[in-house]
Amino acid sequence: MSRFERQKKLPGFGSEGQKKLSESRILVIGAGGLGCPALLYLAAAGVGTLGIADGDSIGESNLNRQTLFGQNDIGKSKAETAANVLKEKYPEIDFNIIPHFLKAENALDVLKSYDLVLDGSDNFGTRYMLNDACLLLKIPLIMGAIYQYEGQLMVFNFEENPMNYRDIYPIPPKSDEIPNCSETGVLGVLPGIIGNLQAAEAIKIRTGIGEVLKNKVLFYNLKTCAFYDVAIEPNPDSQKDIPISEEEFKQRDYQISCGLAEIISWEKALDWSENIGNSKLIDIRELDEEPIVENRAFEKIPMKKLMENPEQIMDVENIFLFCKSGQRSELLAEKLKELFPEKKICSIRGGILDKLSPFKNKGK
Amino acid sequence: MLAEKLETSEFDFPYFETSIELLNALKTEYPQLRTLNFTLAIDRQITHGNIELKGSEEIALLPPFSGG
Repeated sequence: MSRFERQKKLPGFGSEGQKKLSESRILVIGAGGLGCPALLYLAAAGVGTLGIADGDSIGESNLNRQTLFGQNDIGKSKAETAANVLKEKYPEIDFNIIPHFLKAENALDVLKSYDLVLDGSDNFGTRYMLNDACLLLKIPLIMGAIYQYEGQLMVFNFEENPMNYRDIYPIPPKSDEIPNCSETGVLGVLPGIIGNLQAAEAIKIRTGIGEVLKNKVLFYNLKTCAFYDVAIEPNPDSQKDIPISEEEFKQRDYQISCGLAEIISWEKALDWSENIGNSKLIDIRELDEEPIVENRAFEKIPMKKLMENPEQIMDVENIFLFCKSGQRSELLAEKLKELFPEKKICSIRGGILDKLSPFKNKGK
Repeated sequence: MLAEKLETSEFDFPYFETSIELLNALKTEYPQLRTLNFTLAIDRQITHGNIELKGSEEIALLPPFSGG
């Protein structure tokens, strides 16, 4: 009897599959909702070396989905705690603990020694960075991602004619295109399902069993219990944004600023405020502030008045603020966003003085 | 995710000759689409650029997810 008897018995898996797993080196980025279940099953299956990279510490609100952790672990390092829990269960596994977030300067050095990378991160910056790094190093990348009740699974850089994330989404979204930059709700079982699908693809890649989800994106909807897969094809636009060398990669800034307020151009602001319904364009300057501009399409509510009585915008869904240069409107947008996190609150870049402002040459 | 934003998960549309015309019509019908990032799949194939349509295709709008 051995720990792995039941999987060795599987047709096509056998002792050979088990040996391949025990010789595998798999790096899991993010020991969170996706990383925890993936790590648990990869460890149980007998993967020889597991890298765990996460710079975060455990918070109470993580516990509904980050199932390697419990109430007594709050405040501890996720990477270290995950490794300790798994080490206790499966002492033969080698763990590499990377208790910090990967950055472009150090990512390649960390990734280089692994056969496969599993992306369970929680932000677009890391996703694009891992995509580009794995592409440069030619390491298969298994990406899982979730949003509320839906999940995505993708496998990149596997076998010939591999696709990458930029073939689907060529450039990272701007902060104002991310539906909810701050934390959104999630039912723990969803990352449990997607993280386990990632682990399954990892085991298939390393042992050669079955058909890997190659050049496809798989969508899963928990509410409807529906899977939907879509084929990816090379995107000519994807090439130009991929760093061509390790040096270029290291210089790249992958962080996507995710401030509370959205800062948008006049063009977008005018288009949106006119078209997306229940919108208000507001001049937040003092009433006597120059240049004085008049237009029926916007209201004048000075910043101070809005701060004193924010309830006056309660019924408006989409709010576009502008001032003279864009500084005060950004500040106010952030304050209002704290009060009304569900509303779309935007500050217009450059304000009235902006070269694209419709008021540029009006007033005094 | 888009379905919740648009408060519909399926829609039938009159015939458009190209994917760009279809997208423009969708953005007129669902203005919130203008503010979101997504890619277009036609008959379960992700597409780039402007594609000619026959009229019977299955169209899906696929947003990227970042959560983990």
